[in-house]
This record gives sequence, structure tokens and C-alpha cells, in this order.
Amino acid sequence: MATVSALKNPKTVSALAGYDPGDFHCELLGPERQPNRQIASLWHCLETSELSVLRQRAADAERELFNLGITFTVYTEKDAIDRILPFDVIPRVLSAADWKKIEAGVKQRVRALNLFLHDVYHEGKILKDGVVPKDLVLGNANYRPEMVGLDLPQHTYIHVNGTDIVRDQSGAFLVLEDNGRSPSGVSYVVENRHLMQRAFPDLMQGLRIRPVSDYGKRLLGKLREVAPEGVTDPCVVLLSPGIYNSAYFEHVFLAREMGVPLVEGRDLIVVDDRVYAHTIAGLSPVHVIYRRINDDFLDPEAFNPTSMLGVPGVLRAVRKGTVTLANAIGTGVADDKAVYAYVPRIIRYYLAEEPVLANVETHICREPEGLAYTLANLEHLVLKPVGESGGYGIVIGPKATKAELEAAAEKLKADPTNFISQPMIGLSVSPTLMDGGARPRHVDLRPYAVTGRDTWVLPGGLTRVALKEGSIVVNSSQGGGTKDTWVLAE
Amino acid sequence: VRLLSRNAEALFWLARYLERAASLARVIEMQSSFGGQDEERTWSWLLKLYADEERFRDSKDVTTASIIAFYVTDLGNPGSIRSSIHWARENARALRPFIPLEMWVQLNSFHASVEVMAAEPIEPARLPQVCSDIRTGCLAQLGITEGTLFQGEGYIFFKLGLMIERADQTSRLLDVKFAQASLRPVSGDPAEEFVFWSTILRTAAAYQVFNRLETGQADPERVGRFLIHNPRHPRAIGFCVRAIGNALHELGDAFQLPRSDRALEAYGALLQGLEAAEQDPNLSSRLHQFNDWIQSSLITLAAEIDGGFFRPTSPEAAREDIHGRRGATQIQSQQQS
Repeated sequence: MATVSALKNPKTVSALAGYDPGDFHCELLGPERQPNRQIASLWHCLETSELSVLRQRAADAERELFNLGITFTVYTEKDAIDRILPFDVIPRVLSAADWKKIEAGVKQRVRALNLFLHDVYHEGKILKDGVVPKDLVLGNANYRPEMVGLDLPQHTYIHVNGTDIVRDQSGAFLVLEDNGRSPSGVSYVVENRHLMQRAFPDLMQGLRIRPVSDYGKRLLGKLREVAPEGVTDPCVVLLSPGIYNSAYFEHVFLAREMGVPLVEGRDLIVVDDRVYAHTIAGLSPVHVIYRRINDDFLDPEAFNPTSMLGVPGVLRAVRKGTVTLANAIGTGVADDKAVYAYVPRIIRYYLAEEPVLANVETHICREPEGLAYTLANLEHLVLKPVGESGGYGIVIGPKATKAELEAAAEKLKADPTNFISQPMIGLSVSPTLMDGGARPRHVDLRPYAVTGRDTWVLPGGLTRVALKEGSIVVNSSQGGGTKDTWVLAE
Repeated sequence: VRLLSRNAEALFWLARYLERAASLARVIEMQSSFGGQDEERTWSWLLKLYADEERFRDSKDVTTASIIAFYVTDLGNPGSIRSSIHWARENARALRPFIPLEMWVQLNSFHASVEVMAAEPIEPARLPQVCSDIRTGCLAQLGITEGTLFQGEGYIFFKLGLMIERADQTSRLLDVKFAQASLRPVSGDPAEEFVFWSTILRTAAAYQVFNRLETGQADPERVGRFLIHNPRHPRAIGFCVRAIGNALHELGDAFQLPRSDRALEAYGALLQGLEAAEQDPNLSSRLHQFNDWIQSSLITLAAEIDGGFFRPTSPEAAREDIHGRRGATQIQSQQQS
């Protein structure tokens, strides 16, 4: 364990002094609870760093993020405030073996979900076979009948996917959620790495870390693979809601890295079911749109008619096959909370394989066994309504009062199809630099996968960290920060 | 893909806002350092220069403090320095995927420093220093742009915005200073005359070079001609107009954009008028009309650039454009076969 004994000067305080992960799996120390050979140099470097010096360097690094404009913008009525995502300098390290498993698991999941989407927008065999309930899919708010019967290039619906993964007390990886609409955060993966390289090269010394800088090049390659048939040199653009979107920096980053124009809806026009961009030389054809606008706002002709962000008629172009949208319209039906519970069965159904990465154990309350188990064990479970997002309506059994549990049981009995339940997971922790030194803080992981003809997974990912002691909420809106994620080469 | 119309427009306006902020800082710096003792008179000229008399007098007395607030720190005044830098940054924000990171980082930090400066009232005694910092900040931005921005189509639009705004600012400055000269009591003291005319030269960064070239004879005729016609001083109207012409020709020739035709026509008229003025021995007697004409010609020119390059094609025109093009490709392929 970390001690200050290594330091000669008793007045200095080691950055790692007093670090104790407690009952949780530690991402840096692993199950042996000892720095292994692979990370020994990093551990030594942190142990011999003086806390105040490391804190100062961390503060300088955060200021640099601000000056570089690696920020998200919070707009109030009066002001536009640029904020950085808090950045923790102690990296999260994944061994080559761990990564191999994550990579295989993510690829398998994306493949299954793409097959699932193609199926539900064509014959719907999985529904007919009763593996996934029909109403769960066809009655889903994110199901788009406009997509029925359309054949997409490479049969790919989810081109960019983010899989939220946690680790339990035994160190096992579990999938918490699939993000198959337009997952964000990948810009921080690359920018965090660049920051580490500039500001903390000493921590990286002696380690073979797999690079993440080529994400833009890979993404562009995959997007070119899904261009409409017959287009040999496709024009790819990134469609953003514009500078007032809080994720605008990420859109800038992606357009810059891919070397493609960042367009807004008003830059595009659909003429005779083809998409063009307004340029100083007139109209210029567009073939692939990496869109960071939700389905609802994409085409006022087809969806929300009040949308000012979209492109009128783009759905017509999609249906004619003159343009490819990434991700496709209607992928929301695959990353839904209720459908999530069925993903292990979806994998078995299409691929005849066991899932490489398990789901968090999930009890589907629309099924009698699931309902009975949930009602019997409510005080140990987390009860989640499937139709809500952002954590609304969640009841955390172990933390609820008796009255709250009774009310939850009543709600559950009245509408079982609206609920799933899961056990509480003791999320893994990673040493995180706080005022008093490195402290254990809970983390998750979002690897990014891009798919054209096949799938490539960025060797790294977004590690989000809950900076508040004991908190398991990693969202940036609720005090979450990020860490650089190092995947070690074999 | 060619440059998006929206990006071309943002580059044009990024340059205009930067130049506007810098020019305003120059003028305020000049008035506060060399303007004379009478507060109200000193600042009334500034209101006249920007035609803000009505808008300003409605609400406030003309004092150094109220002028500073109005022209430097008031975000509610779209013509203030702070507003111009705010809008320069908003345009740059839209251009972030296009412009080099160094341009953005500089403008982002500069904007942050202006916001800090504007957070508290500025002491009149500090005003010259504040203006000089702003002027330097804007010039640094122009230097970074010159040194880092790829000199393709986008750069041309930046240059057009910069030169149109600068020509306009120099013209206004001349206009007001000459009006001021005609109204003030004749002093007869050559030292005072010298101070008056050297002030406008300093504002246009022309004091030293004028002394060198004109052996220090700062009389109205010489000063006026220098700031209107000199082809090598970067703030003279003649220099700016020729730079506009070069930029427009480059769009047409190097970048093959036939849409520059109408803007080139407007430029041709501007150049002609400028050349006629150079031959006119009585120019100083009609300087006000001449400046009015310069300013309205610049407005016409900017409108032609806007109409030619920045406006989206209407669906009808788009259809015509596409079908016309398809027809042309067909003819071409027929000829090839």
C-alpha cells in the first residue's frame, strides 16, 4: 500500500499518501491490491510526486483546457458560460487482457444490435419468434415506421456506438447501457490524452500505451464505407445544431479531425431528393451526414415541424438512398432501457454465441418471474422505470424508507411492464487527486466503436469519475469529471 | 467541398468586428490623449464620428465616464468595443472547425481579458492604456491570422472584410476631423495647428511615415491626400481599396468564382471615383461629399459580396443550377465520346 516512507524529506507529502480503496475493486491496483510490474513506473512516479506540486500542475492543465476552448457551454438567459469538464491527472489503466475482452464484447454487442435493427425494420423475425415482445419494439417512441423496408449500406444502423461499462466488486465488467443514437464524449478521450502528453509526460514514461489520436481518421474511413452505392468519392459532412449546442466543441473536434465541413441545417438543402451544401461556388452534393441532431429535429417535413435545426426533406433523400445518415434514423429502439434487458437474448438469437460482456443482472418485471423476484427483494434492488431518462423515478432499495418501498411496490404492481430492477453494484474506484491527496472515487467506462463494413473499437475510452466522495453519479452535470484511459499494449 | 457560404460570411465579419474594435480603440485613445481640455467637446466629436448623437443624448450627459461606458464596456451598445470583440469571438466560434487553433486560442484569451477589464468601471486616467491594450490585442489577432490561416478562399473573405471596414473607418475619421477643423476658432499658433493635424495622423498610425515623406508639413491638404490616396500606407483608403480589388480579382481568377462579377463592378466604380479625386484640385472643398460617397460605395460593395457569396440559393434557383449543370456535363461527355 501507499506510504510516505519512500520519501526522504518528512515535510513533503506524497500524492498517494493515505490512498485506500476499501471494499471496492481498484482500477490501478487490481485484485492483488499491489501495483503490478506493468504500472510500477506510474505508481512510483505518483508516489514520489509531491502533492502540492502535482495539484499545481493539474490546475495549470485545466487552465490550458479552458484556453484551448475544450469546453462545453452552459447558456443562461443572460450569459454564455464556458466550462471545462474537470480533468483528473491520475489515469485509468486497462491491461491488454482486460481490453481484449472489452473489445470483443463491444464488437459482439454492436453486431447484434445492428442485426436486430435490420430485422425489426424488415421481417421482424425476432418479434415473431417471441424473443423480444412485439409491443416493446413497435410501441416504442423511438421506433420509426418511416424506416421500414429500407436497405441501408452495409446494413449498418449504428455507425457510432458508446457502451457504458462498469466493474463490480469482483472486478467483472458489466454493461450498464448502450448508446446507439449519438453518443458524445469521444473528443475528451483524445484531448485528455493530448493534455497528458503535453503536461504529464513523466507519468507516461516506461509504459506502452495504445494511441487514440487516429479516431477521426478511422471514423471518416468508416463513414466513407457506408456512402450510397455508386458514389466513389463521397462528400462527408458533420451536421451540428450549431454554436449554441453544449456539445459544440465535440462537433468542432470531430469535423477538424476528419477534415470535413461542420454544417448546420441551414447550410443544407434538398433538391429532387438529393442533399446539397450551400457554398460560395453554389450547391455542392453531400453523400454522408454524420449527424449530431436527434431524430425528432432532423427533418421538419417528417418529424417535429417546428425544428429549425434540421434539413427539410432529408428523410426523402434517405429513402431514395441518395444520402446516408450516421447514425441511421430509428436506432433509439435498440438502446432503450427496456430493450437493454433483452440484449443478451438478442446476442444469442442472431449470433448463437454467449455474450462476452454480461449485462448488469436485470429482472424484467413484465415477465412473471421477474416481477415476483423484484417484489420479494425490493429492499435490495434498484427499481428503474423504462420510459424515463436522466435518473427520474429510480428507487434505490437499500437507501429507501419503508414507506417509499411500499409506494414503489404499489406502482410496480399497477404497471409491471414499465419497470426493470437491478442489484446495487459496488462500482470500481480509481485513485483521484483531491485536496488531501489521491482518494478512491467511483468510475465507469465508455468505449467507442465505429462501424462501416465492420467494427473498430477505439483502444481507450471515456472514463468518467464521480468526484464527490461515495457518489456513483459520474455525469458532468452532477459533479463528474474525466480521466485519461490508458490501454496497455501487449 | 468548396468553402461554405456561412463560413465565408463569418470570416468576413470576424475581420470587420476586429477592425472595428481596433479603430474605435484608436479613436478613443486619440481623443483622450490629445483631444483637449473640454470634456464635453472632446467626446461630442466621437458621437458625431459614429453618428450616435441621438442614441446617446437620449439617456446620458456627455462625460468621460459615460462615454467610456457607452463605447468601451456596454454590451448593450452594439457599436461598443466589448460588443465588437464579443461578436468577433462568436464568428470565430462558428469558424472553429475551419480556422487554425492558434487563431481561436488567441481570440478566446483576448476576449476573456476584455471581459475581465469590463467587469469594473474604467478610471478615466487608465483609458489610454486600456485602449492601447485593445488595439494591440486586435493587431496580434491580425498577425496570427496572417501567420497561420491558409491563404485560400477563406482568407480572401477575411481580407475583404478587413479592408472594407478599415477604408470606412479612415473615411469617417477624415470626415469628422475636417468638420472639426472648419468649426474651431482659428488659433494662428503653428504649434497648436501641428498638434491638431498630427493627432489624426497618429490615430491612423501615419505620424512617423508622414513626417518622413512630407517633411513634417502637416497641413490639412497634405494630411487629407495622404490618408485618402497613399497606395502604401495600410490604413489609407487608396491602399485598402486596391487590396479589395486584388482580393476580388483573385476570387474570379485563381478561385474561378464568376459570382465576384457584381462586386468587381462596384469596386471598379469605387476605384474610378478615387482616381478622379486624386486629380481634383478642389477636393478639400468637397471632402464631406467625397467621404459620404466613399462610405456609401463601400456599403454597396459589401452588399454585392453578401449577395454573391453569402446568401443560400433558393430552392427554385437551386433546381435551375443543378439541371443546368447536369445538362452541361451531358454535353461535355457527349463531346468526349
